[in-house]
Amino acid sequence: MLVIKNLKASINNREILKGLNLKINPGEVHAIMGPNGSGKSTLANVLSGKNGYKISGEVKYLGESLNDIPVEERAQKGIFLAFQYPLEIPGVNTNNFLKTSLNTIKKAKGEKEIDTIAFLELVKEKAKELGIDEKILSRQLNVGFSGGEKKKNEILQMKILDPNLIILDETDSGLDIDALKIISDGVNSSRSEKKSFLVITHYQRLLEYIKPDHVHVLSDGKIIKSGTSELALELEKKGYKKLN
Amino acid sequence: MNENFKISPSEIDKIKLLNQKDKNFRLENLKLFNQQGFPTRNQEDWKFSDINQIFSKNFKNLESFKNGIKTKSINFIKEFDHNHILMVNGKLESSEFTFEDKNKIKIKSYTESNFSINNEENSLINLNNALSNNGLFLEVADNYRFEKVIIIYNVFTDDLKNNLLNNKNKIIIGKNSELHIIEYNINQSKNKFIYNTIENVILNEKASLKTINLQANQNDGFFYKYSKGKMKSNSNYSSFIFSSGPKFNKIDAEFDLEGDNCDCSIKSALFINKDKHQEIKTKINHLVPNCKSYQKIKSVVDAEGKGVYQGKIYVKDIAQKTNAYQLSKALLLSENSEFNSKPELEIYADDVKCSHGSTSGSVDENSIHYLMTRGLTKKQAVQLLVSGFLNEIIGDIKSNSVRKFIENKIGVQIHGY
Repeated sequence: MLVIKNLKASINNREILKGLNLKINPGEVHAIMGPNGSGKSTLANVLSGKNGYKISGEVKYLGESLNDIPVEERAQKGIFLAFQYPLEIPGVNTNNFLKTSLNTIKKAKGEKEIDTIAFLELVKEKAKELGIDEKILSRQLNVGFSGGEKKKNEILQMKILDPNLIILDETDSGLDIDALKIISDGVNSSRSEKKSFLVITHYQRLLEYIKPDHVHVLSDGKIIKSGTSELALELEKKGYKKLN
Repeated sequence: MNENFKISPSEIDKIKLLNQKDKNFRLENLKLFNQQGFPTRNQEDWKFSDINQIFSKNFKNLESFKNGIKTKSINFIKEFDHNHILMVNGKLESSEFTFEDKNKIKIKSYTESNFSINNEENSLINLNNALSNNGLFLEVADNYRFEKVIIIYNVFTDDLKNNLLNNKNKIIIGKNSELHIIEYNINQSKNKFIYNTIENVILNEKASLKTINLQANQNDGFFYKYSKGKMKSNSNYSSFIFSSGPKFNKIDAEFDLEGDNCDCSIKSALFINKDKHQEIKTKINHLVPNCKSYQKIKSVVDAEGKGVYQGKIYVKDIAQKTNAYQLSKALLLSENSEFNSKPELEIYADDVKCSHGSTSGSVDENSIHYLMTRGLTKKQAVQLLVSGFLNEIIGDIKSNSVRKFIENKIGVQIHGY
């Protein structure tokens, strides 16, 4: 699904990712853990195609190089990033935005666009599955949403857009246990042989809910250790410092 | 001044004059106009919109417009029930008040001079005073609330070419009466012309007037509207200005709050693309205690467009407990876009609540990125952010059907940019 070879990324002449290697197969869940400033969010940004980074190395998604693929085409090809801090977009109705988004992606895939009635049914169904009050979707996108509502909204978007590769950037930060449960249930119910997940997190807590197949430790722009979910427990006990 | 724009006094003889006083008033104003020419940037009120330069660039000479033309068919709005008034090139053609008690409404073509509106500092008003011979007079009797909105279809025909139109409107709302108006400008002309209009609004005690002014098609018209309002006690005025499309549009509103407890609100959403130029200017005069005023202007400027907001709040010494608020926000979509804002407070009373603010900036890159990670192209993302920005004003329209209609009209402009 995703192969990253010797990925380096710098911004404002500061190198943040310093030769990162990672391979994610279809159906796998990988967790990346690491201390503040290790490059976790940069990795998420770079995979989403965000402008402003100077990049070298190679990122292949479904066998195709992503290096020159712009943000929206990555999304249209099935890459989804759940933001650590979802942005508030005043005046934009969440449902209208999501419908535009879904139809743009469907169009790019050569699929038939969805009409308003079918779209609203789909939203209703997915919101119900997640236990999310669908009323938040008739509000302005993320405006005045609580931290939990914003993150739930990201997972709902993931469900509706139905991507192949899902990157969760510190989705657990700022969540209470109930919200964490809703979100991890949402992720777990989406797991399939065709979908892969890259879960970026600070804490082992999230990994109690979303069981990863592989855990990697990111430190100073490189993956310094990889293992199974046992590694996360070990980190929780010993802290990141002991690994260096 | 540009000699080509001087107007001969013989033009006044072509107007059906009422009496000698009328003639003298017109001649006097024409003289003032010919002395000054069109306003230039040297005048404070025209600092950011040098209309003399703009007209010189776009017109070789100007010809007063003579009426007597045929209108192309108009698509009346079907989305919601309404009364209507049809104005063609500023002349009252027809009206229909299907939903109302007709005894309560007085409507006629407004052909006389309005001696009460005189401003020696604004030569466009002088020009209008000299030459206007058409317009709308509408009076609502006391204690009458309209059942349905009136749409004023303000149609400009293809006959207009390098013409100058001067018109006057007068709207009087009786005591304890209420009226909603949508002024829907439909420009069928492919050519350049100037429409210079003066509107006089009088709200008697407890009267309420809500207006929406809509300009929403790409055209080469140059519009100037001076709106002078007088508000008696407990009256309520609320105005929405939605403008996108005309080559030039300046709406200049001056309201005198003469009676206590009145409430005056002006909200505007502008979308200025290509090389278009638009200005909103407001002057709210708080002359008595306990009144409220509110102005919120949101502008989006793209390409070589230029937007201006000049807003002044004047509070007289006796106007204690005034509550006045003014805000302008602009979004610039291109490096060449320009927005100028001049907020002014002139306050002589000491127990008042007045605030104002003005911001302008470009579209937030992080917001664009967020939307693009959901598959939207950059253009779609920007259009969505622009609609969202302007929807904050459109969203304040209470009627669902009217709000959807306006949203749709402005949406077409945004998505066609």
